[in-house]
Amino acid sequence: MLRAHGLRTLSLGLIAITLSAVGCSSSSSGPSSGSGPAAGSSTLVIANAVRVDTLDPEANSVNESIWMDQNLYSRLLQPNATGTALVPDLATSWNVAPDGLTYTFHLRDAKFSNGSPLTASDVVFSIDRSRKYSGGWGFLLTAVKSITAPNAHTVVFTLSEKHAPLLADLAMYAYSIVPQKLVTAQGKAFFQHPVGSGPFSVTSYKPDSEIDLARNPNFYGTKPKIAKVKYMIVPDDNTRVLMLESKKADIIENPPGNLTSQIDKTPGLHVNLFPSTRVDFIQMDEHFAPFKKQLVREAVNYAINRQAIVKLAYQGDAVPGASFMPYHMEFYDNSISPYPYDPAKAKKLLAQAGYPHGFKAFMITVSGDVAGQAEAVVVKSELAQVGINLSIQSYELLTAYSKEDGGHSEFGERYWTNDIIDPDEVATFGADCKGGANAFNSYWCSTQATKLVGEARSELNNSARQNLYNQIQQIIYSQSPFIVTDYSPYRYGVGSWVKGFHVTPLGNYDLSLENLTVAQH
Amino acid sequence: MSRFGTLPRRLIHLVIILFGITLVTFFLLRLIPGDPALAILGSSYTHQRATAIDASLGLNKPIWTQYGLFMGHLFHGNLGYSYFYSESATTVISQHLAPTVFLVIYSAVLAAVISLPLGFISGVRRGGIVDQSTRVFFTISFAMPAFWLGIILLLVFSVHLNVFPLSGFGAGIAGHLYYLFLPALTIALGFSTVLIRSLRAATISTLQAEFVDTARMKGIAYSKVLRRHVFRVAVLAVVAVYGVNLAYLISGTVLVENVFSLPGLGQLLVNSVSNRDYPVVQAVALLFAVMIVLINLLTDITQASLDPRVGQEIGE
Repeated sequence: MLRAHGLRTLSLGLIAITLSAVGCSSSSSGPSSGSGPAAGSSTLVIANAVRVDTLDPEANSVNESIWMDQNLYSRLLQPNATGTALVPDLATSWNVAPDGLTYTFHLRDAKFSNGSPLTASDVVFSIDRSRKYSGGWGFLLTAVKSITAPNAHTVVFTLSEKHAPLLADLAMYAYSIVPQKLVTAQGKAFFQHPVGSGPFSVTSYKPDSEIDLARNPNFYGTKPKIAKVKYMIVPDDNTRVLMLESKKADIIENPPGNLTSQIDKTPGLHVNLFPSTRVDFIQMDEHFAPFKKQLVREAVNYAINRQAIVKLAYQGDAVPGASFMPYHMEFYDNSISPYPYDPAKAKKLLAQAGYPHGFKAFMITVSGDVAGQAEAVVVKSELAQVGINLSIQSYELLTAYSKEDGGHSEFGERYWTNDIIDPDEVATFGADCKGGANAFNSYWCSTQATKLVGEARSELNNSARQNLYNQIQQIIYSQSPFIVTDYSPYRYGVGSWVKGFHVTPLGNYDLSLENLTVAQH
Repeated sequence: MSRFGTLPRRLIHLVIILFGITLVTFFLLRLIPGDPALAILGSSYTHQRATAIDASLGLNKPIWTQYGLFMGHLFHGNLGYSYFYSESATTVISQHLAPTVFLVIYSAVLAAVISLPLGFISGVRRGGIVDQSTRVFFTISFAMPAFWLGIILLLVFSVHLNVFPLSGFGAGIAGHLYYLFLPALTIALGFSTVLIRSLRAATISTLQAEFVDTARMKGIAYSKVLRRHVFRVAVLAVVAVYGVNLAYLISGTVLVENVFSLPGLGQLLVNSVSNRDYPVVQAVALLFAVMIVLINLLTDITQASLDPRVGQEIGE
């Protein structure tokens, strides 16, 4: 999933000073009397930073759009609140044949928001449509040979090889269910006013400024307590904070790190942190000679003070990084602990590797990424202590990515987020030489790790899978092809009048909107 | 007609400029590292998936072929198809045009309303209280970057006084005037400084002209001299400044649109560059070029109609 950074973080430093100055003076003169949503209203206002790219699940690439979409559409299954297991959505039950090659899903009686019934052929149509979309997520389902609907309530998947992540894949946003008839008839135009079977439906769609949702009367589950959800697109970080402070928004996404303490000090407002699947790491491109040596890569791991990064870049709100897999997700290896901060050992390892006086290198960062810039400064000063002279190169987001992906990088700040709860995706991108991403573009390659990733993908027994993923995590940890710095959470500014807002590690909050309440404020 | 003799030549310039803009934006954009596939795939980028996207967007063709196709479509009035909006670039732009055009006109009018009286009085009563306070106030507001000034205005008028909305565009003309007041004021305050300074200077030099003395000696009332003779001449000098700055103002809307969450062309341009949405960037760049050239042209026409001397040496 892509998260866009942009101009919006440009002015943060300057503004923070004024905001806190003016903010202080105002809090003594009484609470701000916003003319926000009327008293007792059951509308939830969410201010997002990024415009909605599309409401078409097969083509979504922006996180905020994906999270919003999941309120509109149902899938066969969905991740639970902690992102550690799958729970039913449209499928009430499913059986896996003993050979692991046939999956049968039994659907509940469900309707689309326009009242028409949702049938197995809609499911077959939607999943086939998404997996055939070029550049889409079909690569997750290459093991699927065919999808059929023997009757209106049954869907059967036939596989060409065993594929353990199948259920997790089907819980992904791209495999949301859309009505076959309408999509076939209207094509792309359907997604300007889509019809789904989720808890909410779209009543007004202006992707650059405001999207309004209303409770779907035909939703199969418990009807949401709130009647409406209003999404405002507010790209400027400071303006979003002002919206929360003046109670014109109930929830704002991603308040800037330097304003979180100010928000927390404001009566009635909180910054809530939710564990995410985000893994922040530093790339070490093996095209750069020193990084071909494992001793050098280990030395860098010892030279980095993760506590300092967590404190200075994330205001203490992140967790120091250990395994390359998302923190406490399925098959995470708890026995791995972060590399200790040990500059003396790092120096010794560098000397052993033939670099007693260190070396010069550059590190690519994304301009406008405030946390990333702070991290770069910490890393630079720490590496200087072991003789590695780091120069920081800041680029606009896609320029940075293209340099880091292309094998022309040295150090590079990167991060990963999961799209499915199963670790197959992260293992394929981070540890599999044939996965297409060259082990997070480190160009490190371990035939052993690659073999294990393949075995884990076709192993249906959970404890055996845990064992395989532990081995993969141990290999990455000991050979350190990249530096796992920290696991950073999602940040939302939330008014105390909102009860029950919860974000899963995958970032979606559709389950919480079904029970959430907005009190008078 | 001689006063407008440069018009045909300027129209030919327009065509040449537009052709140049297509060349520059098309090739500069493709020189920037990173491509649409990378923007779409983000951290789950693999070469294989990128190739599939490139093929579906036609980006696997040679660059000259792509340029030829683009120009071919352009002659048919087709600006291409946005990679991100799944709509034609023309549609995407028309959806974002209104806030920006409204904002530019609104702030231009506000700036004129603010600066014409203040600049003229400052010139007439040089060193007076209006002159001094205007100078101090507008020097400070000019020095404030738009994103900063915008946040301060929001903080004061929207959060604490709660008289203006925090974000959005509103509905209907009255709604737009209300919602866009703070963003337009943000732009107008910066813009006014230049106008006030140049009107003040022009007023002072006009006051010293001999025809002013003549008019006064003829016994015409001072207020009438100021209105009929001084103001009319002094304001001419400002028209050129106004036109040039108006052109800058279009590009200046980017930051202001961001602070006030206006879904305008500025935001569209920034997002489209970040996403490498080539057709939209090309189309917006072309549109900006047309707008700037047209504004310059209008400035010249305005000057020519106000001042009989303009354009004669070329026209005859």
